[in-house]
Amino acid sequence: MPDNVRPQSGDSRRDLRGSYGPARHHLLTSLFGIEGLHTLSVYRDRGGYSSLRKAMFEMAPEDITAEVKASGLRGRGGAGFPTGTKWGFIPKGVPGPKYVVVNGDEAEPGTTKDRYIMENSPHMLLEGILIACYAIGAHQAWIYLRGEYDGPFGMLMAAIAELRAEGILGDRPLERDYPLDIQIYRGHGAYICGEETALLESLEGKRAQPRARPPFPAVKGAWGRPTLINNVETLSNVPWIVAHGGAEYAKFGLGTAKGTRLVSVSGNVQNPGVFEIELGTSFREVIMEMAGGPPPGRRMKAFWPGGCSAPVLPEWGLDVSTDLDEVARAGSMAGSGGVIVMDDSHCMVRAARRLLQFYAHESCGKCTPCRVGGNWALRTYDRVLEGQGSEVELGTFDAIQESLQNGRCLCALGDSAGFVIASTMKHFRSEYEEHCLEHRCSVEEQVVAASA
Amino acid sequence: MSVTVPRGTLLVEAAKLVKVEVPVFCYHHKLDPVGACRLCLVEISPGPPKPTTACTTPAAEGMVVKTDTPLAVGARADILEYELVNHPLDCPVCDKGGECPLQDYTFRHGYPTSRIDAPRLHFKKPIPLSEKIALDRERCVLCYRCTRYYDEITWSQELTTDERGVHSYITSQFDQPLKSVFSGNIIDLCPVGALTSRVWRFESRPWDMDHVPSVCSRCAVGCNVTLWKRRHQLVRVTSHENDEIDEGWICDRGRFEYTHVNSPDRLKVPLVAGAEATWEAALTALLEGVQGRKLGIFLPQDITNEELFLLRRLVDGPWQDARVALERRTLLAPPQGETLPIKDLDGCKAIVVIACDTADDVPIVNLRVKKAVSKLGAKLLVVHPGHLDLDRWPDTFHVRPNPGETAEAVRRLIGHELLQEGPVGILYGDGHGAEDVDALTQAVVDLAEAVGGRVMPLYRATNERGALGVRLAGRQEDLEGCDAVILWGPGRPPASARFVAAWDSVPRPEHEGADVVLPSATFAETQGSYTNLEGRVQFLRPVLPVTPPLREGWDVLCELGQRLGMPDMDYLGIFHVQRQASRAVELFAPLADPPAPVPNPTPVLYGPARP
Repeated sequence: MPDNVRPQSGDSRRDLRGSYGPARHHLLTSLFGIEGLHTLSVYRDRGGYSSLRKAMFEMAPEDITAEVKASGLRGRGGAGFPTGTKWGFIPKGVPGPKYVVVNGDEAEPGTTKDRYIMENSPHMLLEGILIACYAIGAHQAWIYLRGEYDGPFGMLMAAIAELRAEGILGDRPLERDYPLDIQIYRGHGAYICGEETALLESLEGKRAQPRARPPFPAVKGAWGRPTLINNVETLSNVPWIVAHGGAEYAKFGLGTAKGTRLVSVSGNVQNPGVFEIELGTSFREVIMEMAGGPPPGRRMKAFWPGGCSAPVLPEWGLDVSTDLDEVARAGSMAGSGGVIVMDDSHCMVRAARRLLQFYAHESCGKCTPCRVGGNWALRTYDRVLEGQGSEVELGTFDAIQESLQNGRCLCALGDSAGFVIASTMKHFRSEYEEHCLEHRCSVEEQVVAASA
Repeated sequence: MSVTVPRGTLLVEAAKLVKVEVPVFCYHHKLDPVGACRLCLVEISPGPPKPTTACTTPAAEGMVVKTDTPLAVGARADILEYELVNHPLDCPVCDKGGECPLQDYTFRHGYPTSRIDAPRLHFKKPIPLSEKIALDRERCVLCYRCTRYYDEITWSQELTTDERGVHSYITSQFDQPLKSVFSGNIIDLCPVGALTSRVWRFESRPWDMDHVPSVCSRCAVGCNVTLWKRRHQLVRVTSHENDEIDEGWICDRGRFEYTHVNSPDRLKVPLVAGAEATWEAALTALLEGVQGRKLGIFLPQDITNEELFLLRRLVDGPWQDARVALERRTLLAPPQGETLPIKDLDGCKAIVVIACDTADDVPIVNLRVKKAVSKLGAKLLVVHPGHLDLDRWPDTFHVRPNPGETAEAVRRLIGHELLQEGPVGILYGDGHGAEDVDALTQAVVDLAEAVGGRVMPLYRATNERGALGVRLAGRQEDLEGCDAVILWGPGRPPASARFVAAWDSVPRPEHEGADVVLPSATFAETQGSYTNLEGRVQFLRPVLPVTPPLREGWDVLCELGQRLGMPDMDYLGIFHVQRQASRAVELFAPLADPPAPVPNPTPVLYGPARP
């Protein structure tokens, strides 16, 4: 990793985990670590809010959307939908309010990138939000923030207060007659709140349960109004794109996935953290080099490339690149960029059971397959792990994973639970068979033998 | 099979038109689709090769919908299997058994065997949601029909869901008993046995009952109901969807107030001076008692059109000076000119509700107003001194005049900005006696003229409109000064009464010490018809036989007429009365064409296709 720069010794930057600082491909994190970056004065000294100024005074709203389209930026929340296209879906010329809603409910296990952005450079996010508001014709933005994020909440509140005091938020931001406001709504601690329509329900004060689509939020979102919902990282890219142009952004990355992204590497690695990488970097580079690979004496066994909602990949997946389409071709999803690594001390049946516990617990209960299927699978795992499995349980796992996937559920949560079962069974079927048919766990035996 | 449907028709409705069953739990044709239960999965092309919910997908030009591909069939069977993972399978003791979609669908669409080997989850049960409704959370499939009904249709957030995931359960808000007068509809809505009637609980099985569609006798709306009987007992009342009036909803009064029909105290034999007597003797005693005295007659609100017609003849003839009072009547006069039919509320752009608590007086009209406002975008204005449940709509414009000043407040609405766009519907009551009704009616008529609206007088008594049609709708006070009274229904004898004849189905404290007591038939037994508040004549269909010595009211009135020497009182049967009434009274013209005596059985659980 030649230009993966961590600050040199003697640099005045704070020490953060991950990669940041002045490198060619550090678009988001180039300023991270600079003392006081979270304040308006430092951020502005480093060129902050010049993109907003440029957007509001030199560009028409359609031009901004066109630049974002040209950049090839795709949503960083998980689904990877082209951001510019999404902005283009917001109807123009309809009377009444439109909203920008920022999905800051970063609850995907193994994902910490949004927090990384909000804690290091809250103004970068706010600038992106304001540009998005201007581009789609909204005057009000909501940041739906994960309830547990106390630190980012405080920093965003302080940053918003600074903007209000400076007049960048208010009736006449930057002396222009275009009122802008940002409000923060703190979630209440449910994974489902990160699903965009459930997030809207929660924002409206209702039970966070996903809505059937269509209508999509772009047409009928928060309070029935056209609403743009973007992830924190997605919007944080916007100031850079506006400043340098979409074409410049598109020079990073490969194929249809352009630019850079933050990956959060966690699990059995020696150097976990958040790394900004150019899309197309291989997972081997990310896991083995940047994150230092598994601890000495251990062997890499499997990893979840995009948060635990993406199907697991075994060791051969290291040679897959982080390009969104290539991960999809490998049978998984780039998802939210949360890379969870497991080494050979982990039994995949036990791992799958733990994840199912999460999905069963976080199911909102609205649609039948997810509500019942997750819990049924969990109970089946419990039986298998207690040594009471048989051929029947293998069939049950198969039946449940099939009936959770492929549009059977109302939202993607059910699919994710299905992926866990399907992918672990696909790549580690022998472990399932061991547990179900032989009532033993070779991984556990090895670990015990090694420690003896 | 191909079918052409209006734009926006959902696949599940289009399938009904070609008689293909797409099973549904969460979908209900009167509620907004949510796509929660995932039971209606079908495959559509052109489209992705994955199942799609038929309840949220509108039909499109050239769309091909396949319900019988292995993918779609398997997907539906999977969902049914899931619904049974934690279901207690206590069908043998479940009131829903026999008319339960979960049972039927499992037989028709489910797997023949069960793979479920895990122990089931348990909840405390049954939970009394109110005095009338019990909730069994283990049977619940969480289709959310009940909570959505409460939110969308009744505007009262009394039911909600607690917890999440597989532990979710339906509960009343803060565990308080349900108070809404519309609560009983959730029993009909529930596709499983989770919500059951505590009145009907463990009474009978669906296949053991006969049912007929009839008309509710509890207020002037005239909702259609289904009466269920088992072994000469009326055991259940459910809704019977009629989109012109009730859209399939009935209020709790109509649903639960029927137990007096089966009461062991039912009067069956006439009494004279407290001793059992023949009809002959009782009627003789009655005629002697009223002879030469100033006669007052109290009428029950559910008196039929036929009985009113015969009574009119008596009052025109031998009982010329008799005064007549009607139970629960308003002070409103018969409407002048054309009125607004209930179904036309749907098309109104603005609705004004004046001097009437619709939820109490005309409950189902209240739901229709709510639908017009929340689903069809009508503006709502209310002129009423108190707080009404219509105020739950955030944009309700509520004028609160002092009692007695409603007429002026109505006049002030002329030219109001919310009434600029028509059609405007103006609903008005009598303010329960607080208002000068003539002035109020005039103000309403003036408002209607000014904004080009149509009016709907909200009568209260079941057949008040019919009684007004034959000018037999006095008030209880009118009976003061009468020295002989016939109390038909729950009337009080005036202090001046020397002779009291009571005519009712059950003994009442008000009738204590009556000289003559006549047993009367109830709405479940009598033949006849009611005229609802819009002037629509609807026929009752008796579900129970009239077993002698019980006699129907029209029959008794005929005999009284004959005894009093009136000509042409020897009617051959009720059809004869109806034919003559249809010629004599303009309002009763539809009586000439009574419906076929044996109605077609109608499905109870599936509604017709949504237009």
